Amino acid sequence: MDVTAVDRSAVLGDSLLHRAAPGSKLLAAGLLLAAVVSTHDPLVTAGVALSLAGAGAALRLPLRQMLPLALYPALFALVFAFAAAPGPVTGALIVLKAVAAAMVVVTLMFATPYPQVFAPLQRILPAIVGDALLMTYRSLFILAVKLADLVRAVRLRSGVSARQPVRAAKATTRALGGLLLYSFDLAQREYDILYLRGYQGRLRVGRRRSADRTADAAAIAYSALILAVALAFARFPLDLQGYSWLVAAAGAIDLAFGLLVGWRR
Amino acid sequence: MSHIHIPDGVLPWWLWTAGWLLTLALLALASRFARGREYRRAVPLIGAVSALVLVSMGSEIVPIAYHINLTVIAGVLLGPWLGAIAAFIVVLVLALLGHGGITVAGLNTLVIASEMAIGWAVVRAGVRILGVQRIRPTAAVATVVTLAITTTMLVGIVAIAGSPATGRETGALDARTLEFRDPFSDGVFSVGLLGESGGETGAERAGHPAAPGLTVSRFAAVVYTLGPIGWVLEALVTAAILGYVARVRPSLVFGEAHPEDHHARYGDEHGRR
Repeated sequence: MDVTAVDRSAVLGDSLLHRAAPGSKLLAAGLLLAAVVSTHDPLVTAGVALSLAGAGAALRLPLRQMLPLALYPALFALVFAFAAAPGPVTGALIVLKAVAAAMVVVTLMFATPYPQVFAPLQRILPAIVGDALLMTYRSLFILAVKLADLVRAVRLRSGVSARQPVRAAKATTRALGGLLLYSFDLAQREYDILYLRGYQGRLRVGRRRSADRTADAAAIAYSALILAVALAFARFPLDLQGYSWLVAAAGAIDLAFGLLVGWRR
Repeated sequence: MSHIHIPDGVLPWWLWTAGWLLTLALLALASRFARGREYRRAVPLIGAVSALVLVSMGSEIVPIAYHINLTVIAGVLLGPWLGAIAAFIVVLVLALLGHGGITVAGLNTLVIASEMAIGWAVVRAGVRILGVQRIRPTAAVATVVTLAITTTMLVGIVAIAGSPATGRETGALDARTLEFRDPFSDGVFSVGLLGESGGETGAERAGHPAAPGLTVSRFAAVVYTLGPIGWVLEALVTAAILGYVARVRPSLVFGEAHPEDHHARYGDEHGRR
């Protein structure tokens, strides 16, 4: 997973969704997750996932980087579905739910800088947890780059080779061991910085206001509409079940329309 | 098979809500214990170790859908209380990157926090009994034992979720509603997608008792078959890394990873100024 791509898009992006207030985006994400949780129809779930991909395309979010992240949980969900689902439809639903839910959070993270996502959590969680959450995300980028450098260095020295798996495994493990030691040095440096800056047990994240009220309204209205559809299908499954293909078709049209709009812009 | 790779909306709402409530209680307790230690030192330490676990979880072994976790190592380095905080952070960040559901983050935290606490306890006990020289076998055995226990926890969670008590109304899956019918046939004929529903009418289905939930026995069979491959891989990696760290900076593994001297480097017994 390329977390640097997520951060780059969240910070440098300039879509309509980027201009919405973080609070509105979190609310919209919550509504969409509620839709994914409440639906029990694979076609409705597929419709939600397709519609989200369409919205991302229309907003010109980096779909090429978003889709691998959103599809990654499908691999694990597939194993779970194979192991625990009573039938293929349930299995398909499990996989689709994984992809749709991942699409929701990935869209949120690609359009919102992480401190703004964590800030509301930081306010309700114990101080040490909220602060450590922010420090983790910061360290994550540093360690990801460091690991990539270490792996490259090991490869350059022919440490990782398919012909010598034992040697490769040893080299990789040493790289991870080195990364562990580096992470402790990193923690030491961060501690020194906090100490020098007089940290007293609460990192403050400034609130970011909306740059475009229309964006807030659009995000919430879109999410509320999807939730309403999902709830209707969950509340009246026997009456509406036959029409679930309409939701999937609407999602497919959303995607086609989004791709067209994104391409033309 | 460490944490739960179950998407949102599969487990019943009361189960994941209970998971979240227990996690919040655990976090409150853990932060209270952490307060007694050097607070400013704990924050970056948790951040760095959580980030390390996250980076390691990014590398996956595709055929068995397993990734390295380093949770036992994190437990050994942080201890059970700071480990619980790190477990929550890891799970939350993973969920925000689409890996693992947001709703199951509470249950995931409990599983990973248990993994860190059990790993920490078993390694400590092993070092006390076998001595510091045998850190590699100790770490390997601790990892296998820990992962076997947490995998059983995972099976237990799925067993609870798949029990007859979890009807569709509670948010669990129900095959009764997973049917695709031709909307224009007006009930003349119905097509069960892949034959799962058997083509019953709505009235017949309405009179049926609760439909089968998650298949626990098959799930247990799969995780206890694939799981040990992951346990062994994780044990080998954990043993190699802990062995390496124990050689380079022994006090990180055997001593306090949280020195009272505020200016000493982590685990560096020669770093005191």
